[in-house]
Amino acid sequence: MERPDASTTRRAVVAGLGAATVTGGVVYAGATLDNRGTDTDTTSSADDVAFHRTTGSTGFGIELDGHPVMGSMDAPLDMYYWGDYQCPFCRRFEENTFPALVDDHVAPGTVRVVFIEFPYLSAGSMTAAVMDRCVWRQVRDENPRRYWAWHSSVYDAQGEKGSGWASRSNLLEITRGVDGVDAAAVETCMDEDRTDIEAAIATDIERARQLGFRGSPAFVLYNRDADEAGKLVGAQPKERFDEAITTVENV
Amino acid sequence: MIDLRAHVIRFRGALAYPLTTTRRTVLTLLVAAVTYCLLVLSSFPTYSMQLLGADLGYVDDAVIALTGNTYRTAGAGGLALVVVYAITTGIAVTGALGRVRSAGRPDARGLSAVLPGLLASGCASCGAGVLGLVGFASALATLPFDGNLLRLAGLLLLVGYLSRLGDPRHCTVASAVESE
Repeated sequence: MERPDASTTRRAVVAGLGAATVTGGVVYAGATLDNRGTDTDTTSSADDVAFHRTTGSTGFGIELDGHPVMGSMDAPLDMYYWGDYQCPFCRRFEENTFPALVDDHVAPGTVRVVFIEFPYLSAGSMTAAVMDRCVWRQVRDENPRRYWAWHSSVYDAQGEKGSGWASRSNLLEITRGVDGVDAAAVETCMDEDRTDIEAAIATDIERARQLGFRGSPAFVLYNRDADEAGKLVGAQPKERFDEAITTVENV
Repeated sequence: MIDLRAHVIRFRGALAYPLTTTRRTVLTLLVAAVTYCLLVLSSFPTYSMQLLGADLGYVDDAVIALTGNTYRTAGAGGLALVVVYAITTGIAVTGALGRVRSAGRPDARGLSAVLPGLLASGCASCGAGVLGLVGFASALATLPFDGNLLRLAGLLLLVGYLSRLGDPRHCTVASAVESE
């Protein structure tokens, strides 16, 4: 029978304790570093940028009907943004990079952003995506900028997947807290139009899959005049977006 | 019949082996760190490839971002499994190299004794990343416990491998004991 000597046992205990310490440290870091970035800008001009309702397809084949468009309609570049409200990486992009992109590229009129739903994480993702479309339907004619307030409020409220934060009732509660959005009308839309909206969202998901997107956030930058496009995947640093925008702009 | 106590003793020996010299400890930590980075980066391969393809200097950004993302998508348990797997891989690789070394030159026979166990356990654990690579990063979301069962399976295979390996400086007759 093999018998461990005392030094072996001591080393094994030290190794086990060391592994436990390192594991605990990394998990703690994962919890605390999450959503902390270096590009945070709390004074973004996103609240002042115009939103538009439009129809038709772009040269890239994106159907614009039903999708909020942020920025100048004459902007030479489109940025198609596929996101899932339950995706932590999307929240990271929204908090760390998007405000600076709006300041530097959307507000000056270089880029317009087309918001596209890409719900894939769970049933709550689809509920949030359908509500997104309902909110847009409700505000797009009278006060389209309220969409941004709702969109930001939902990302601010993002909780853990499966925690119930993306339930219909909780999302409606969030909606009631956003000025200028009629939560009752949104609820009616959820009741009456959900099936049709889900079918439209399924088309968006399929388009994302055709483009090879396997997670979110996902982006296509498209130069409408030159008919050239480039893809970006994930919550990349703002300088990566700057580079991509410059590249697509100058093709 | 499997002699559980012998397995536990050999596992203890395998666990202690990296701490027998400074070089082995450093090697174990190095392999564990590299394994951790690879596992975390493989959780969103298209993002990692795009970011690191642009500049390898983004590796710290990518690892930190995906560590947070793993925590949020797989939970504290999922992230802990990834870390423990990485450390265990470091121990297994150090032990495997020790076994090859103590068996003499690293011939095919020596490698055949260590590679199957390492590959089997490695494939099970990195299956999470491979799923993202070949299909959909979101595939993990549809697996039981967000893919944590897959990670646990890989870890158990690796622990099983270590419990057969033991301290590579000592000769054992594990297979003979088990076949009785």
